[in-house]
Amino acid sequence: MDLVFALALNGIVWGLIIALIALGLSIIFGLLDIINIAHGDFFMVGTVLAWTVLQTTGNYWLAFLLVPIIGFGLGLLINHAVIQPIKNAAALSIVATFGLSIILQESVRATYGAAPNRLVAPIQETLLLFGIQYEVYRIFAAAIAIFAICVFFGFLHKTKLGTWMRAVRFDPEIATAMGIPAHRIYMVTFGIGFAMAALGGVVAAPITTVDFQGGIDILPFCFMAVIIGGLGNLEGTVAAAVLLAFVEGIITSFTDPTIARIGSLIFMSAVLIVRPHGIFVGATR
Amino acid sequence: MRVTDTYKFGSWLLVLFTLTAPWVLPLLVDSFWVDIYSEILIWSLLAASVNLLLGYVGLLSFGQALFFGFGMYGVAIGVVKFDLGFWSAFIFGISLATGMAAIAGSLAVRLTWHYFAIITVVFSLIFYFTALSWKPITGGDDGLPFTIPPIISFGDYKLTMTNANFQYFFIVTIVGACYWLMYRVINSPLGRAFVTVRENDARAALIGLNVYLIRLTAFIFAGFIAGVAGALFALFGRYASASYMFYHVSGEAVVWAIIGGVGTLFGPIVGTGLMIVLREELSSVWDHYLLLVGVAVILTVIFAPRGIGGAFKALAEKIARQQFSRKESGP
Repeated sequence: MDLVFALALNGIVWGLIIALIALGLSIIFGLLDIINIAHGDFFMVGTVLAWTVLQTTGNYWLAFLLVPIIGFGLGLLINHAVIQPIKNAAALSIVATFGLSIILQESVRATYGAAPNRLVAPIQETLLLFGIQYEVYRIFAAAIAIFAICVFFGFLHKTKLGTWMRAVRFDPEIATAMGIPAHRIYMVTFGIGFAMAALGGVVAAPITTVDFQGGIDILPFCFMAVIIGGLGNLEGTVAAAVLLAFVEGIITSFTDPTIARIGSLIFMSAVLIVRPHGIFVGATR
Repeated sequence: MRVTDTYKFGSWLLVLFTLTAPWVLPLLVDSFWVDIYSEILIWSLLAASVNLLLGYVGLLSFGQALFFGFGMYGVAIGVVKFDLGFWSAFIFGISLATGMAAIAGSLAVRLTWHYFAIITVVFSLIFYFTALSWKPITGGDDGLPFTIPPIISFGDYKLTMTNANFQYFFIVTIVGACYWLMYRVINSPLGRAFVTVRENDARAALIGLNVYLIRLTAFIFAGFIAGVAGALFALFGRYASASYMFYHVSGEAVVWAIIGGVGTLFGPIVGTGLMIVLREELSSVWDHYLLLVGVAVILTVIFAPRGIGGAFKALAEKIARQQFSRKESGP
């Protein structure tokens, strides 16, 4: 029972981190109509940057501040070089971002190296939680993820820029006619998308390994959250990410993690076929 | 030279090169290039199956590796577990892939664009993970090696793939047959229906075409082609492995098809050939040659979204137009 509890708790923590990353994927899709195959690698770049910050400054807390900023800058750059030129052919976005994914993985392999590294969590203590010893860092990671998600929704609903983003997503032409600089909104959106994935990388780096292939496992999971939550439905994405990771965590305590993953993939195909707009459609929009 | 003449010339050159490769390539470069050329021909079928869907019916599949993997495992499991002969294992692999394409397709072609691309990835991931964890049958990470049964045996005399020339021409025959089949289908009324659906599915439905059935047919046909590629590759490499079912393999096939030019019959061969030759030449010189591949992919998508085949077609048409106008204004 303790094991089930620990794995379920791990699932929720992991789900919140995934939710943070998947939100980036979701806004990039919702606003720019780009299927971002490289999103897992944005996360991976985040973990590697966090590792680099720790190695150079010796202070992991600095990574929480620096890495999202670097990520935002990288996002602007990539948007300018790769995404804007294919804007009128969004169908090709899958191929272009696949190329981007190759470039990101290979440049990390060339600079950081091919060997995976483990990071020591900045918080070492464990906590007695309902009869099990639980790492405090994981709880802290969940808190950071929740905080970032709340900040993001606050930004989207309470600030001018956020309102503009929602307006452009709703109808780009009318928004442009009303004087909203849609081009700049696209740029910022892509930057925020990258920054969120990179922050997810910083939060997750001490829990998982830092590896140039670290994004490959994350990507399908993020897509599952985005699809099951409904493409472009941000609240749905968060709910789906937590739900999926929680359920996978519980299934994992009975069988193989791979079987849990196969289960969620089958669930996802069913959602795609029966309710292609997500299981929460109608609840929020 | 007219556009069609350039095509004919290019095609005949390709055929001539293919038929003489086992003797020409060792003279020009090195004999291991014959094996690489066989590999290019096999992989080009996977790219062709992507091209069939993307270029002719307008569906981007990111999961063709699934059918490649089924073709592969069909052959390997047929030989290892059921003790099948050469031809029955080959046919078993292809039927397995085609059957899977029929099942996956009946669900997947209900969706289009983004959703279609994603569901094809999901299907291939489901079977990738299954193959990874179902070790007794698939060998998991290690794959499933096998010894190849003879094709024909007359008492002591056996014709097998261990004979290099025989292996090469076996692959050429099968790949050639596939391209011939694709050529026939594309130029048939069914092929016209494919293009109609690609251009405008609503109008296609209004003139009485069954869009669902046409997409499904194309999907099954593409799955069949990918299955042949997988079965051939299993025979060529003498093993099957789950890693060939991962979405990166599908992604590579999409890249080859797009660089070669979607919507052209021989585009996939050009794209696959170019990328594999680049890989063979560069990977020994520069460890991080994949960076170049990524850059090439992005540049192609931005500047030549119709690929080398499309760019060539546009160039040839331009030259033809210029010659035509010169004739008009000439003496």
